[in-house]
Amino acid sequence: MFSNPYLSVLIIAVVTVVFIVVCSYGLGSVARWAVRMRGASPKQQESAFAGYFFAAPWIVGFIIFVIVPLSFSLYWSFTDFRIGSGSVASWKGLENYRDILFNDEGFRASVVNTLYLTVIGLPLQMGVALFLAVLLNQRRPGERVFRMAFYLPVILGFNTAVLLCWRLMLNTGTGIINQIIREVSIAVPLFGYLTRALIYGQEIITGFFLGLNTGKYNLLMRVLEAGFPADNRVPLWVQSPLWTKMSVILLMVWGCGTMMLIFLAGLNNIPKELHEAAEVDGATGWQKFWKISFPLLTPYIFYNLVVGLISSLQIFEPIFVLYRDNEPIVSSTISMVYYLWQASFSHFEIGYGSAISWVILVIILVFTLIQFRLQDRWVTYDVY
Amino acid sequence: MKKYAAIIKGVLLYVLLTGATILMSFPLFWMISSSLKTLQETNSPGIVWIPDSPTLEAYTSIFQNENFLRSYVNSVFYVVLALAGTLISIAAVAYAFSRVEWPGRNVVFFLMLSTMMIPPQALIVPQYVFFNKLDWIGTFNPLIIPGYFAGGAAMVFLLRQAMAQIPKELDESAFVDGANHIQIWWEIVLPLVKAPLATVATFLFVGLWNNLLTPLIYLQTIDLYTLPVYVSTLYNINNTVQPWPTIMTAAVLTTVPLIVVFFLAQRYILESVVVSGLKG
Repeated sequence: MFSNPYLSVLIIAVVTVVFIVVCSYGLGSVARWAVRMRGASPKQQESAFAGYFFAAPWIVGFIIFVIVPLSFSLYWSFTDFRIGSGSVASWKGLENYRDILFNDEGFRASVVNTLYLTVIGLPLQMGVALFLAVLLNQRRPGERVFRMAFYLPVILGFNTAVLLCWRLMLNTGTGIINQIIREVSIAVPLFGYLTRALIYGQEIITGFFLGLNTGKYNLLMRVLEAGFPADNRVPLWVQSPLWTKMSVILLMVWGCGTMMLIFLAGLNNIPKELHEAAEVDGATGWQKFWKISFPLLTPYIFYNLVVGLISSLQIFEPIFVLYRDNEPIVSSTISMVYYLWQASFSHFEIGYGSAISWVILVIILVFTLIQFRLQDRWVTYDVY
Repeated sequence: MKKYAAIIKGVLLYVLLTGATILMSFPLFWMISSSLKTLQETNSPGIVWIPDSPTLEAYTSIFQNENFLRSYVNSVFYVVLALAGTLISIAAVAYAFSRVEWPGRNVVFFLMLSTMMIPPQALIVPQYVFFNKLDWIGTFNPLIIPGYFAGGAAMVFLLRQAMAQIPKELDESAFVDGANHIQIWWEIVLPLVKAPLATVATFLFVGLWNNLLTPLIYLQTIDLYTLPVYVSTLYNINNTVQPWPTIMTAAVLTTVPLIVVFFLAQRYILESVVVSGLKG
């Protein structure tokens, strides 16, 4: 209808604003009429009108963009609905769900990968975040600048452009990270030895997880057969299925700024008197951290754990930028959201995609609820 | 003896802080440095920290790349349009939840908070069908219009908390003077929450500017691509040699607005992450 894409969206935007104002006015008027029927005072009537008038954008949006899509997708998840096939969707019952949970390699891969990120990535990420928070919490001059530097990756982290820079840095031969590892290994043999030990351990663990994923442990066997890595071995960040998840973890650790700020708030909330009292009793800094700060930080650790787990299900950009089209490798690192995108939009199978969406939704809800339950058991809230 | 220990501790602390800063900002340095290199230098097996003779070749060539320039314009256009509508609607809804007493407020507020548990990606498939019915695939509409309905419960919550702290007497005296709710919202309340508004605007800006998934799904032709989508096409696995200086130049230019906005708003952001993060 409109040839110019900018003009057409401007017109739609104006129409939307008019639509929202009309909805606001309508909803407000209905509310005013309803409370008047109940015999409310003019002031209460005015408040009812204003409340619904201002809240209407969210209420209307909630119905159009959340309730309706969720209901439709719940229905479609039991059918074989496809866009563009022209045929009418037919009822399949629980077949989609059965396929996803038991027959779909992509789903299984995404579950195993999430498990890996949770077991290995999250502790690393939280450890670094806590370490940085403790450093900042010493409150030395210049703290603000350091805080900014540590938070900046969160702003940049998921931008395609920045991820491409990581892609350059992670190149096996010409990437700066491996170049540095090589140079330092030559200069300091001990460092080289430690690196190779880490490479070995990492490959064994990842090989095991890949085995969980495919049911075949041949990669793990190959790593064990090759034995301790040779002198010139470096990590194969973006080249081998044994390393793809580690690259994602590297990005997670780099973007730990939000977790760090949460920990910083937690450290701030610890009463000074506790540390002072411990000092009088002759406690060392190490003891003070593990016996006082750490237990009081558990609610913050718990919070970061829940949020970190949920966000690892949703990782999309790093996988897309680093591994898209890299067919044999990409399945070793896909997240649930990447799997959803891949499965739904490659063939526009809406029924199947809807079922995946619901599986993700339920998993996230269940995790949130379980963790909130467990929270009571092991989180120390009130020590004061 | 104790004094020396304190000095050593202080030095050690700064060494650690500086080391961490170098590591955290290294990708940024590397991005800029690589954008000034030649193709040979980006692909050399030896380390090239800073190019011997920095070249602006990649910059001049990218400014002649029509697709890049158009995707830049597209990004700015879509972000501005989406940001304006989203920010105003969020401010309106936050006002309803903080400054007005209305029947059903607690129920609606609870509903809004519980939507924070719904991952936005779970809605993508059905929303795609909906936008397909509206014939909106291949337009900017699906990226912009949903935000106009106060998209982002966490942002509404952040702003509501700020608005709730303004003393009630302010509105009441304005009412006595004959002001209505819209005037109070726009002329009294909003000017008092400028800092939280700036925070929300920054978060929205970053989210929109970095957004890859929905533009990828809805913008199907290269003349509509936003920066993240276009820049991702510069790197192609089928290339025998990746044009790294060009890619890194595009990356630098894409990152500049983010860094500028971050420096302008860092004062507000660094504090509010905690407020919105730990919603009691």
